[in-house]
Amino acid sequence: MKTLVIRKLIVDEGNELFDAQGMRYAEFASDFDRVRDYAALILESCPPAFREGNLLEQQLSEIIKNGIKHGNRRDSAKRLRVWYDLRKRARFIVEDEGEGFTGLDNWNEFYRKRQTSLHEEDFDGFLTLASWRGPGSDDEDGGNSLIAALEYWNGGMIYNGRRNKVGVVRWFPGGSGQEGRT
Amino acid sequence: MEWTTEEGADGVTIGITGDFDLYGAPSFARAALDGIKGGWRRVALDFSRVNYLDSTGVGTIIRMLQALKAAGGELRCRGLHGSPRKVLEMSNILALLREEKPTEARQ
Repeated sequence: MKTLVIRKLIVDEGNELFDAQGMRYAEFASDFDRVRDYAALILESCPPAFREGNLLEQQLSEIIKNGIKHGNRRDSAKRLRVWYDLRKRARFIVEDEGEGFTGLDNWNEFYRKRQTSLHEEDFDGFLTLASWRGPGSDDEDGGNSLIAALEYWNGGMIYNGRRNKVGVVRWFPGGSGQEGRT
Repeated sequence: MEWTTEEGADGVTIGITGDFDLYGAPSFARAALDGIKGGWRRVALDFSRVNYLDSTGVGTIIRMLQALKAAGGELRCRGLHGSPRKVLEMSNILALLREEKPTEARQ
């Protein structure tokens, strides 16, 4: 029998994932048209082994998009701050200037129901729960970025107390990734 | 992102080329959902020329699944590979898609 796995978005202001000491820093305008450019810029010096095709770029883009679209609401006066460390593993802290992910607890409940439907092979129910719809969602939101993120960021995904800053880590098979350098 | 639509005896095949992402997926979604409203019931998505898929693209696939289910239709896919396949797997959506094996796909 398959095991039911229900992950959670966690709020922990004092978590070590928010220790930015030694990390590189970049700051961007809230330009939605440049979400993928920003991710590519941050990953310019990324070891090839960490990229996993374009999976790392895609997952980083999702966090940047959420910060610019849902956090800063595309307000060009608001900035997106990114700390990053690509030594030994891929680690990022992304902070926006918005009011924070106020729907976080509701999202965790949505995710619990979604995964339970899947586990019980209630595919009709699952399909109705396949995409998260929060107060700020629109038709162009996939509503599933955090679901994949909880799976992808295998070293943790933590929000700060205000819920406008997220710290994430992904570890890779083989450790440092230096062997992937060309 | 570009796509071609081919209607045949086996339904509609949509061949997608490029990045299925936050910039290209919304216009594709409008076209695909309009097609379903207009009577498409058997739809196949060909991902063989898609190398990038993000949550907006996954959301589009979910909306197509929902619309086709409501209409009594079916969504199939073919050619999934690389990170698009991984993204669908991590989103738990891969299990909902009927994948055509290469021998099933029309030439």
